[in-house]
Amino acid sequence: MKKWMKVVGLIVSVMLLLSVVACGSQGTSGEGGEQSGETESGEKVAKIGVISYLTGDGAAYGEAITSGFEMARDELNEKHKGELKIELVIEDSAGKRDQALNAAQKLINSDNVLAILGPTLSSEMFVVGPEANAAGVPIMGTSNTAKGIPEIGDYVFRNSIPESLAIPAALKKAVDEFGIQKVAIIYGSDDDFTVSGYEVMKKAAEDLGLEILTTEEYATGDTDFSAQLTNIQAAEPDAILASSLYKEGGLIVDQARKMGLDVPFVGGNGFNSPQFINQAGEAANNLVVASPWFPERDDAQVKEFVAKFEEKYGKQPDQFAAQAYDALYIMAQAILDAGTVTDRDAVRDALANIKDFDGVTGDFSFDEIGDPVMEPVVLIVKDGKFVEFK
Amino acid sequence: MADIILNPYYMQIASFILINIILGISIYITLSTGLLSLGSAGFMSIGAYTSALVTMKLGFPMPLGIVSGAMVAALAGILVGIPTLRLSGVYLAIATLGFGEVIRVWFNNLEITRGALGIPGIPQMGREITGSLREFGITPDMLGLRANQFSALILFFILLILVILTVWFFVRLQRSRIGRAYAAIKADEEAAEAMGINTTYYKVLAFAQGALVAGFAGALYAHTTSFINPGDFSYHRAVEILIFAVFGGSEVIWGPIFGAAFLTLMPEVLRGLADYRFMIYGVLLIVMMAFRPQGIIDYQVLDWLKKKVKRNKSASPLDKQKGGDA
Repeated sequence: MKKWMKVVGLIVSVMLLLSVVACGSQGTSGEGGEQSGETESGEKVAKIGVISYLTGDGAAYGEAITSGFEMARDELNEKHKGELKIELVIEDSAGKRDQALNAAQKLINSDNVLAILGPTLSSEMFVVGPEANAAGVPIMGTSNTAKGIPEIGDYVFRNSIPESLAIPAALKKAVDEFGIQKVAIIYGSDDDFTVSGYEVMKKAAEDLGLEILTTEEYATGDTDFSAQLTNIQAAEPDAILASSLYKEGGLIVDQARKMGLDVPFVGGNGFNSPQFINQAGEAANNLVVASPWFPERDDAQVKEFVAKFEEKYGKQPDQFAAQAYDALYIMAQAILDAGTVTDRDAVRDALANIKDFDGVTGDFSFDEIGDPVMEPVVLIVKDGKFVEFK
Repeated sequence: MADIILNPYYMQIASFILINIILGISIYITLSTGLLSLGSAGFMSIGAYTSALVTMKLGFPMPLGIVSGAMVAALAGILVGIPTLRLSGVYLAIATLGFGEVIRVWFNNLEITRGALGIPGIPQMGREITGSLREFGITPDMLGLRANQFSALILFFILLILVILTVWFFVRLQRSRIGRAYAAIKADEEAAEAMGINTTYYKVLAFAQGALVAGFAGALYAHTTSFINPGDFSYHRAVEILIFAVFGGSEVIWGPIFGAAFLTLMPEVLRGLADYRFMIYGVLLIVMMAFRPQGIIDYQVLDWLKKKVKRNKSASPLDKQKGGDA
């Protein structure tokens, strides 16, 4: 009897210790950041919450996004010294919706942030957006591409271009250049991101009057696509439209080329990743994709950003880092325009009025509901590298 | 205290704890007949989707939607239970896990559930009630609260009442003819049958009750997060629910309740540790399994707690005074 009580006692004390440690570190991170407001020197402090996917399968996205934010914060604090100081409160969502909601509630109610950037996934935004909107906190997604995000409410924005803008742009360019008339589609049917990409693709193809010969499906995690590709080969399309994440995308392109399917590919946003090229190699040639971000663009601002990012993090910034970097600049602009770090409504109005913002992802404005208005760059893979498709 | 109650962040965590407690109870019910079912996630998804669809497409009021979600899940439980309960032990676990995956794939391919895209904009309990109270002229300002505080509070209290009712029902059930039959089947199925207990009936009943409660929790989950997709109900969820019972203990109903509360709270308490929090969560589970494989709460702990409470009561001066007054 006594023995197990001792064990329980031990466990409970270990757990108490853990929670004390946790509370301790939480306490300092909370108190370290002052409330939004004015310091004695007249410098305004704006607290901005970030919800990001930092642990779990998609942690790479969250990491890229937070690096973009942190870099923008350091630059902005340098630039607006004495006028505006931005503080980021970064919370992890682990890619789970309930965790994202908890994080949002913490930022809104315990940290009293002025605005929120994130969350990473569109599905997380569908849960967090309504709550932030109801609480009157401006929230801006930097990586949400699904349909219906700004439609959640007046306080919900995004600066990532939706697929409904990117995919038609890529397809139109490919049709103009390659004279495509008949297409085949392949997509992952069990992932919200690839399905929403597929729906846009189908509509874009119909709008352009293309004939869809066949539509093939696969499941996330598949590695053998020969059945689907054989069907596609038999249909003899002029091009293949693919909506998938880079993992499956790389395999699909590689296996298609090995089967002798040499037609161009038009991809969704999932192909927009250096990892895709790493995986597919030479097979990636003739893949067309529209991106908001092109690191080799001939623009002083872009060159400076890429150089600084590489110096700090040792790798080239991807579109997630670039969009996050721009997002914080846009937010800072809105706060300066509103002239307040306490009035969330004023910041929302200023955000809605952002026009012709010149960022690393190009010229940027919000439309009337909070979706971005911008021209995506159409890229094509040539000799194992993304180049601008002209 | 007021700070905690009025902060929607804490209320949000509390709401998830309450939903997970209901899920913990659902697995406890089937475990109390000695059946290991991993179908909870599947039944949860049936409840969630049914309630979301009937409230959004057919315009059912939310309480009716939640009840129908639970009922449909129970029906599915009976249909699945009758054939699969011929299996036992690990075979039943595999079959029910398979059922959960089949359901998930099914929801993934249905037109009406929007497949993998999920259903956004499901009416959210707190916000919906705040809205309808406003129509009756009752606004959060009248209580000196902000709208989000008010809706978080409402959500919490509704869930709290539902959890209390559920726990109360199953505590009572254990002392009834049905509960005794469950315990007899768990202890020795053949002996129970020899005593005249219709084991098939009680096993299907326990299975259906588990499904009903899981479906109920699923419906509440849908109306708490306002968005569901099939990815919510994968086998990760089934395992998570199982861990509530394994961690807390599956001998007494308080075990899974404690497990659900503790394991839901843990990642939030550890939030300050950022990247390390899930590591610590994992280590905690391993340590736990090494030292208390039967789970934290079992009969011994419960007895010990009861004794302690009794001793405190008789020793407390307040009680003596009360006795004196009488």
